Amino acid sequence: MLEIDDLHVTVDGRDILKGITLSIPAGEVHAVMGPNGSGKSTLSYTLAGREGYAITRGRILYQGEDLTQLAPEERATKGIFLALQYPVEIPGVVTLTFLKTALNAQRRARGESELDAMRVLKLVREKAKALKIPEEMLKRPLNAGFSGGEKKRMEILQMALFEPKLAILDETDSGLDIDALKLVADGVNALRAPSRAMLVITHYQRLLDYIVPDRVHVLTNGRIAKSGAADLALELEAHGYENV
Amino acid sequence: MTVLALKPLSEADVFQEDFAANAAHLPGAGQEWLDRKRAAALQAFARTGMPTRRVEAWKYTDLAAALESPLEPAARFPGAVREAGAFAGVAGTRLTLVSGFLHAVGDREEDIDIVDLAAIGTKVPDWVKDHLGLLAAGPDQPLGAASLALMRGGVALRVRASNAALHLNFVNPAGRHDVVIHSRILIVVEEGASLRLLESHSGEGNDQSLTNLGIEINLRPGAKLEHVRLQSESQTALHVTSIGASLERDAGYRALYAGLGAKLSRLDVIVQLRGPGAEANLHNVSAPSSGISDVTTVMDHASPHTTSRQLFKSVVGGHGRSVSQGRVVVREGAVKSDSHQLFKALLLSPRAEADAKPELEIFADDVICGHGTAIGALDADALFYLRARGIPEAEAKGLLIRAFLEDAIGDFVDPVTHDAIWRRLDAALTAMGQEVK
Repeated sequence: MLEIDDLHVTVDGRDILKGITLSIPAGEVHAVMGPNGSGKSTLSYTLAGREGYAITRGRILYQGEDLTQLAPEERATKGIFLALQYPVEIPGVVTLTFLKTALNAQRRARGESELDAMRVLKLVREKAKALKIPEEMLKRPLNAGFSGGEKKRMEILQMALFEPKLAILDETDSGLDIDALKLVADGVNALRAPSRAMLVITHYQRLLDYIVPDRVHVLTNGRIAKSGAADLALELEAHGYENV
Repeated sequence: MTVLALKPLSEADVFQEDFAANAAHLPGAGQEWLDRKRAAALQAFARTGMPTRRVEAWKYTDLAAALESPLEPAARFPGAVREAGAFAGVAGTRLTLVSGFLHAVGDREEDIDIVDLAAIGTKVPDWVKDHLGLLAAGPDQPLGAASLALMRGGVALRVRASNAALHLNFVNPAGRHDVVIHSRILIVVEEGASLRLLESHSGEGNDQSLTNLGIEINLRPGAKLEHVRLQSESQTALHVTSIGASLERDAGYRALYAGLGAKLSRLDVIVQLRGPGAEANLHNVSAPSSGISDVTTVMDHASPHTTSRQLFKSVVGGHGRSVSQGRVVVREGAVKSDSHQLFKALLLSPRAEADAKPELEIFADDVICGHGTAIGALDADALFYLRARGIPEAEAKGLLIRAFLEDAIGDFVDPVTHDAIWRRLDAALTAMGQEVK
């Protein structure tokens, strides 16, 4: 599904990623763990196509296609989804309107028919219920005044709605209490599927108790320092990143 | 603070010349009460003359320099006018003013008294005599003063009932000459009465005519006025409106101004909060891409327990310029005044400019006065977020721009008025190269 090969990325002229090689087959969940400043968020933004993240070497293949020249919206349409560490508040755009606009933009770009407001509402309601997102929240401006937990649940709701092939979760556990964490993890686990790959980026092992990965990669100083099975996360928790 | 600048004597003033030549032929000439008011207004205007940037309140908007050609006073338009105005679908008494002259009255409701100021004769109701020229005619609103001194047309309106609705549809037909339109609107909303006022301005042609409108709003105790104003004149026109509003005890003035037309648009507002419980709430939206859209206000808290809110939002593209100036004055003894103003501008091109100047003059204790200004480009985080969800860049920008403006329009107006404003706004944004859907 995703093949990252010798990826080098600079941001504002600074080298952040210094040769990442990583492969995630369909159906697998991979975790990338690392200390602050190791390049975790840079990796997620680069995969999603954010401006200002310049690839200086290497390439990213997604379903065999080179992603590097594609705009963020094109990547989204092709099935890449990034759940942000800090979802943006957009006052003035009603959440439901946003969901409909985004869903239909993706469908339009894929040559599928657009869904009317009723269909979208039905679809959203269904998914929102599982994440315990009250309908009232959908009528409020997107993320505006939402709590940390509400914002993260809203990200997972979008993931459930867009049904991506590759989901990247950037520190989705940050700022969540244990109940919110479980709710979000359940939402993510429900979306695990043989046709879907996931990249879970996190600082702490805690999230991986609930979303158990197939592989764990340790990112330090812009490189993958170590890869292993799920128990590598426990080892990191016990001994810290310094001994990697 | 009003700073007066001296005009060089060599630059003859068209307004004073007009008065000198035509005073005897102006509507109501020879009636002592009106002659006196006109003469006083001319003197008030003369203290500033045609404002240049040397006049502090006009430092961002040089009207004198924008007047390129000599302007003749507008005459009554002889033909028929079909333009129904932006708010054609909204119920209420409908007055059409062509070149500033009352042209037609439609769907007349009986609860509004209407006096045609162009046809003012010897039998003038006392309420007109008593109120005309009290507001928007002083030296701090020089163009407003000129609109009274040289008033050719306009209407006086009195409302004594609740829930009255009125549409003022100003139409400026294309003419062979550049003209200046001096007209006045006098509004008196009696104690406990309420009015919903929709005001629209449209123009055709590509002349550089100047609309110089003075609006006086008198809200008696407990009176309410909801005012929606949409200025979408032609892109070559010049437009100045001076509004003076006086709010007595428990009176309420809610206004949404949209300044979308004219190469130079200046809205000059002075609100006097004169009794406890008086409350003013002003919203302004503009979207200039070539000209100047200027809104300048003075919020005068002259009584204790008064409240004011101001929210001005502009989206500026091309080489357009938006100006937001707001002075809040809390006078001595006006305790428990509560005031807030927020000016925000979104700059969409490298040559776009926004000037924002909030000012506070507080002479009382125990007051709340807040102000904020934010000028910047579209939020890059928000734009990326929307694009990462599959929304194409142009559509994402449109969504954010719309949200930015909608914040000032949103719940402020009913759906029909809302759509009417957005039709004009969409057109202005499209002209700017921003598709908003």
